Amino acid sequence: MRYFVKRVGQSLLTIVSVVVFTFVMIRQMPGGPLAYIRAQVMQSRGADSIDMAELSKLSVDYMNYSVNDPIHVQLFNYTAQILQGDLGRSFNYGEPVGEIILKSAPWTIFLLTISIILTFAIGILLGAVMAYQEGERFDTAWTGVSMFLNSVPYFVAALLFVYVFAIQLSWFPASGNVASNLDSALTPQYVSSVLYHATLPIASLVLTGFGGIALGMRGNAIKEIGEEYIRVAHLRGVPGRRIAIRYVGRNAVLPLYTQFMISVGFMFGGSVILEQIFAYPGLGYYLLEGINARDYPLMMGIFIVITVAVVACILFADLTYGMIDPRVSDEASREAY
Amino acid sequence: MQTTNDVTFGVTDPIFEIRNASVTFDMERGTSRVMDSVDMNIQRGEILGVVGESGSGKSMFASALLDAIPDPGQLSGEITFRPESGEEIELLQQSESEIKQIRWEEIAMVFQGAMSSFNPTMTIGDHFEETLDVHGYDVDDGMERGRDLLSELYLEPEQVLHSYPHELSGGMQQRALLAMSLLLDPEVLVMDEPTAALDLLMQRSIIELIRKIGQQRDLTIVFITHDLPLVANLADRLGVLYAFEFVEVGPANDVLTGSKHPYTRALLNSTPNLHTPREEMRPIEGKSPDPVSVPDGCTYHPRCPMSDDNCVAADPPFQAGSGATDHQAKCHYIDDVNEAVPLNLREVHNE
Ligand SMILES: Nc1ncnc2c1ncn2[C@@H]1O[C@H](COP(=O)(O)OP(=O)(O)OP(=O)(O)O)[C@@H](O)[C@H]1O
Ligand code: SF4
Ligand SMILES: [Mg+2]
Repeated sequence: MRYFVKRVGQSLLTIVSVVVFTFVMIRQMPGGPLAYIRAQVMQSRGADSIDMAELSKLSVDYMNYSVNDPIHVQLFNYTAQILQGDLGRSFNYGEPVGEIILKSAPWTIFLLTISIILTFAIGILLGAVMAYQEGERFDTAWTGVSMFLNSVPYFVAALLFVYVFAIQLSWFPASGNVASNLDSALTPQYVSSVLYHATLPIASLVLTGFGGIALGMRGNAIKEIGEEYIRVAHLRGVPGRRIAIRYVGRNAVLPLYTQFMISVGFMFGGSVILEQIFAYPGLGYYLLEGINARDYPLMMGIFIVITVAVVACILFADLTYGMIDPRVSDEASREAY
Repeated sequence: MQTTNDVTFGVTDPIFEIRNASVTFDMERGTSRVMDSVDMNIQRGEILGVVGESGSGKSMFASALLDAIPDPGQLSGEITFRPESGEEIELLQQSESEIKQIRWEEIAMVFQGAMSSFNPTMTIGDHFEETLDVHGYDVDDGMERGRDLLSELYLEPEQVLHSYPHELSGGMQQRALLAMSLLLDPEVLVMDEPTAALDLLMQRSIIELIRKIGQQRDLTIVFITHDLPLVANLADRLGVLYAFEFVEVGPANDVLTGSKHPYTRALLNSTPNLHTPREEMRPIEGKSPDPVSVPDGCTYHPRCPMSDDNCVAADPPFQAGSGATDHQAKCHYIDDVNEAVPLNLREVHNE
């Protein structure tokens, strides 16, 4: 319980620090949000008539704080609004940031969910087979392939796929999440168009990701196969299939659980570049758009959402691992993870 | 000198008859023969102690009794198992599914290193239920018996069954493993250094429990250890392994007080007192043999103070010398051993 409180506290502290840090950093940037708003007002009203009250109102609307307040009040108001779920309004799109996030996040989550499931399913199965074939041709060949694929960065694969399969061969679309002439409804055309558009982004994550999981699974499973209790289980008459699943498989997969949750976080971060390469309108795409257009509310909002998602995944992994794997039930050993 | 080639060792009702059993591993530098034409009889209901230094083939002998030599080892020869009722069984002729039924139901084993005999992600209770289940036993009845066994071993049944292995101490795990090995009510229990990882006090109490349980259930126990003082109080008969074969077999008391083989005598003399902890034991001089090239003739000749040309030339058969025939050793000069290698043992407690 003390561990639980400590870990939740740590996570909240991380999130608050990130909020404060982005707040401060963005204010320090040349041409910060204030300059942007001022320029906007000047554009629409003519050069000289800058009304401080107007400016303050606009900054509250977009940024959640008034430029006339002292800085600590600004920070306080800003944080308070975020905690209430109000992330401000996008300069560029004019919409509330929260709405842009609600619109784009499902696409990112869709991409990541399928990618992660495939990465782990392929990696775990392959790793298990490699372990049972340890030292044979299949194992050596796939160990080499896995090591190679694992060392390729996902964005290199993404660029390569776009170039070869989208631009050169035109087998897959180079951008977008669904054909623009289709209404969003659960029709077969719509679903297949969505999958068609998602194929290359998913493939670049999965192909560069499963090797690492396979190698991890292989190592864990080989260690398990050599354990004394596996031999004892055989002698107790436990069937080989059950040993492969309940003993070797389960014991080897459990340590991957933490890796699983961490890679969820990692992929959230990776979505920024990936979605840019495929012009895929998810969270990461809007984040980079926001950065390019100096759309401060948008970039801060998405940045904070991604941070919270990553921290939450790691926290969840940490808190639930002990329940899933009885080997780490006491707090002392859990700290090591 | 009378040469018997009788390797029944005075056993009248053998539950195991082992003839010419060998275990080989094909290795790069040649064939490694880690059990070398072993003959042995095990009497129904006895406690047979098997002693030998590290690497002498004790674990191989234990595994052979369940036809469970680790891959890629090859077991050959004849191992006949005679259950209390029913036909005698040629262990090495059984199909995989037949042998799986015999193991644990008829012949169970407690391994070297109890700490690692349980799957760390399953509770002790899961192991018990699984064992009953895969052998087609009634799980409820079986668990009842399991709980009784655990209580007999001075464990709190409910608490132990709900625990994961790492939540139990070494001694508790050892006793839980003992209970699991007896769960299907086997006739034979093979114990390979079951107490090696435990402290001395715990070892003694486990030995007492084993003795008690063995008597209550008419269990035949093969107790394997490199710790001679440990079995001295427990075993009915002793077999001494040297270089992958038995070199002396006989009633425990006779082997301890009137050893017929120079190696056994060296082993005993390196133990100043049977109650001396093994940490204080001095090892016997010389190197133990390499399983790829064991010495010709008597395998003990490089270390034997009595060896002569005859010993180098010819491998001695089992013989009793002028003593009782149920006590035999593989040495050409059994009747000279007493003078050449006197036992300096002062007290023997074989109650
Ligand atoms: N898998 C294997 N492959 C090849 N040789 C083996 C294998 N396992 C054991 N051996 C060899 O077989 C011989 C006998 O081994 P065994 O494990 O029976 O010895 P032991 O008497 O039980 O020793 P300890 O007291 O150390 O347990 C040793 O020389 C060992 O090196
Ligand atoms: S046969 Fe010879 S070498 Fe072997 S134990 Fe007897 S005396 Fe020693
Ligand atoms: Mg051993």
